[in-house]
Amino acid sequence: MSEAAFKELKKGGMMRQSEAGLFSVRLHVVGGRLATPQLRAIQEAADRFGRGEIHLTTRQGVEIPHVPQDALAALKEFLATSGVGVGVCGPTVRTVTACQGCRVCPSGVIDSPELAEAVDRELYGNPVPHKFKVGISGCVNNCMKAEENDVGIKGWIEPRWETPACTFCGVCQAVCPTKAIATSEDGRALIIDPTLCIGCGDCITSCPTGSMREEIRGYRIFAGGKFGRRPSLGKRILGVLRTKEEAMAAILAVLDFFRIHGKPGERFGDTLQRTGFPALETFIKVGVGRP
Amino acid sequence: MTTSTLDITGDVCPMTFVKVRLGLHKIPPSGKLNVRLKEEALKNVISSLKTEGHRVTNVSREEGIFLLEVTKGG
Ligand code: SF4
Ligand code: SF4
Ligand code: SF4
Repeated sequence: MSEAAFKELKKGGMMRQSEAGLFSVRLHVVGGRLATPQLRAIQEAADRFGRGEIHLTTRQGVEIPHVPQDALAALKEFLATSGVGVGVCGPTVRTVTACQGCRVCPSGVIDSPELAEAVDRELYGNPVPHKFKVGISGCVNNCMKAEENDVGIKGWIEPRWETPACTFCGVCQAVCPTKAIATSEDGRALIIDPTLCIGCGDCITSCPTGSMREEIRGYRIFAGGKFGRRPSLGKRILGVLRTKEEAMAAILAVLDFFRIHGKPGERFGDTLQRTGFPALETFIKVGVGRP
Repeated sequence: MTTSTLDITGDVCPMTFVKVRLGLHKIPPSGKLNVRLKEEALKNVISSLKTEGHRVTNVSREEGIFLLEVTKGG
């Protein structure tokens, strides 16, 4: 088989193994969720076409290794009947990872799987200058490591202080993990530093008088993270977004920016090193009017 | 009626809240319980109290230790 043909297979999620003639087949999984009929089909496919083995990848992916080249087409067809697609590779938008989010996790602020599905529907496999990863954490506990992704999302609670009932008891300041809350010079107001606030909402949960309130319960975006050979963490961009639609629009705008400014084979974080983060923020704000 | 004081400065989560709950069990609805606790226990104790319908009606502080006045709910 020619190199070009191998490349074509790889693009479609069929990864050539070290052992000649065998492939590890990457499946299409969204936000780490599979329905039980899909799982049963995957199990059967691994028994029939592979060696009864399944590999779970670090990014919530599933691969069936040891599939002979001449069985690839049949495997693909077999899985398709149970709604399991094969994956993608190369310079495309990859598997969207997500935690269980607020529908399952008591700490959850956003519905991570719902957003993951929306992003996947809109973008999975779309061409970009280099591989592009999206990861979604339902809250600041950040189980999905938002900052390790080209675009990461975190559920976020932005607090707002209200004067009337506050007794200046100091509880919110004591519980704030980043010491983001200060007392004004005249001692008559509390000031929250938005650059220090990590959106945990602990000050709100702990305030005995209800003076700390939720201003926004929404989505925070991190851009430019990657792991691999030269890891670097993504940085927060934009303010806290209120709706899934706003988050989606911002992600789409980030991808547009990458398509315009990214060089082939350059990870998004490196593109941002060249352009600077402000250029990205301006682009998104102008393009989609995001706060 | 005198308000009893519960000292949980030597306890860690989840014993902190367990002790507060036991303390509240002994007093009638709308009764008060003072709780002495360390900063680390504040968040969990207060949020659990709120979830269970009790109220923190006063907060004071002495040398890094918080003193909560808890009013028993319903
Ligand atoms: S990131 Fe938050 S919502 Fe998601 S699983 Fe972790 S704790 Fe739960
Ligand atoms: S915890 Fe609430 S009442 Fe106490 S200082 Fe903070 S905002 Fe004011
Ligand atoms: S939300 Fe969390 S980080 Fe932000 S001010 Fe409140 S306690 Fe501090």
